[in-house]
Amino acid sequence: MIRCSDLHLTFNRGAPTERLALRGVTLDIPAGEFVTVIGSNGAGKSTLLNALAGDYQPESGAITIDEQDVTAWPSHRRAGLVARVFQDPLAGTCGDMTVEENLALAAGRGNRRGFGLALDAGRRDRFRDTLRDLGLGLENRLGAQMGLLSGGQRQSVSLLMAALQPSRILLLDEHTAALDPKTAAMVMGLTDRIVRDQKLTTLMVTHSMRHALDHGDRTIMLHEGRIVLDIAGDKRKGLTVQDLLDQFARVRNEALDDDKLLLG
Amino acid sequence: MSVIALLGSVEIGLVYALVAFGVYLSFRVLNFPDLTVDGSFPLGAAVAATLITKGVDPFIASFAAVLAGAAAGLVTAVLNLRFGILHLLASILTMTALYTVSLRVMGGPNVPLLMVDTVLTPFQGFGMPDYWMKPILFAVITVLVALLLARYLNSESGLALRATGSNPRMARANGISTDAATYLGMGLSNGLVALAGALFAQANGFADATMGIGTIVIGLAAVIIGETLLPARSVLWMLLACLAGSVMYRLAIGFALNADVLGLTASDLNLMTALLVGLALILPRLKREAASRRAKRTQTARPTAASPTAGDKP
Repeated sequence: MIRCSDLHLTFNRGAPTERLALRGVTLDIPAGEFVTVIGSNGAGKSTLLNALAGDYQPESGAITIDEQDVTAWPSHRRAGLVARVFQDPLAGTCGDMTVEENLALAAGRGNRRGFGLALDAGRRDRFRDTLRDLGLGLENRLGAQMGLLSGGQRQSVSLLMAALQPSRILLLDEHTAALDPKTAAMVMGLTDRIVRDQKLTTLMVTHSMRHALDHGDRTIMLHEGRIVLDIAGDKRKGLTVQDLLDQFARVRNEALDDDKLLLG
Repeated sequence: MSVIALLGSVEIGLVYALVAFGVYLSFRVLNFPDLTVDGSFPLGAAVAATLITKGVDPFIASFAAVLAGAAAGLVTAVLNLRFGILHLLASILTMTALYTVSLRVMGGPNVPLLMVDTVLTPFQGFGMPDYWMKPILFAVITVLVALLLARYLNSESGLALRATGSNPRMARANGISTDAATYLGMGLSNGLVALAGALFAQANGFADATMGIGTIVIGLAAVIIGETLLPARSVLWMLLACLAGSVMYRLAIGFALNADVLGLTASDLNLMTALLVGLALILPRLKREAASRRAKRTQTARPTAASPTAGDKP
């Protein structure tokens, strides 16, 4: 389904602030798999997601989705295959447009946008039904400005928007990090439901080791632009948060030793 | 102020409402501060006037003016999107170049439109004096354009345009080519401004290379006055507010110039416009600041009524 082969990506190449964000990421994700991605700050988690979505172009390596080489596709062209939810609730929606207009925008993902009215009675009914499932009372606020909604509500709508139009891949970039624990749990529940119902191939970046183990089928850990841990199945089932933290510490120390060797 | 002067102000206000729509599209919808309009307004006038004097049908000439304006907008968009020139600078470059283009199109600094048929000619047979007919005709045209534009901005493609200005990253994530949307919006915006130039030239009987000076400020004035006096949320009402803002701006200027006590002359127009726009921009901010000061004062006056967390702080 998704295949990344030997992705390399550098920020500010040649400048003093040069940073190797991805150094040889190879990853194969079969259709329908839900992968959680963990790693410390600057490990390359978000960069990997952005590279998959087409925001960044890798210097070398290739990305194929559904047997199609999409490496050179800009993000808007990949949007028919890839749906995303960002960390910042403000980032995934247009705050100065209404709830229904935002949903209409998402409903057009992957289609040609013509001159027909974006909203009609049929679409409004469909949106109302979708929003009712959330149980947040948003079905009565179709005409409200998106900016008036709370962070949790906006993030929930972002998730709905990502699922409104069939796609193959769902990319979630710490999409509950900006929410309070209760809202985060609600959004995670909604995430599980959408992923299951639509059989989406999903990558979810998270800072919560708990979320990383409790959700999905497979967990990968990134460190300094490389995949250092990749577990699934029974091996993953037995794992505790503490195991993961130990693993994390071990990887970090190893990396430090590497650097020491280089410097020495 | 006489009735004729009053209607004259309304007429110019209505023509400049088209400029306001263009400025609303670039500044507000696309979030693209575009000064090209100072060049596309006289360009529209120059193209229409020159073609009309060459015997071209005035409606076709006006349409050609729209295309010329749209092309000017596209040039600015290419400079910005393809070559990464800052939008303001890109639009200033185009605007500067357009001054020469307009002179070349006209073959001189101005073109008079006397004794020729214009888009106004077919409407002169109704026995209505020109000073009534022109504002009524322009009111019909601008309201029609507002309706069409609002209909477009509520279409799938129009929504994509609005998302591009509001949140480009989200727009791309939803499959919108923000570049394509910006090209479209900039073409549309400057096409509207050129249409205003073409109509202005035909209503006043001349096109002049210097008639574009200050167009952007007048357009912005209309948008800001409209937004301040008639805050609206739906696209159609926003456009109608721009229209009303444009007419009100002209009336304000007209009254100021006609008030003998003020001793103002036509040459004071630009300073007055700048003052008016400046005030319209400053006042809402001062109002907000005063409101927050008042809120703070009531909070400190009644400390017990403050939020419960305030007690935790040392």
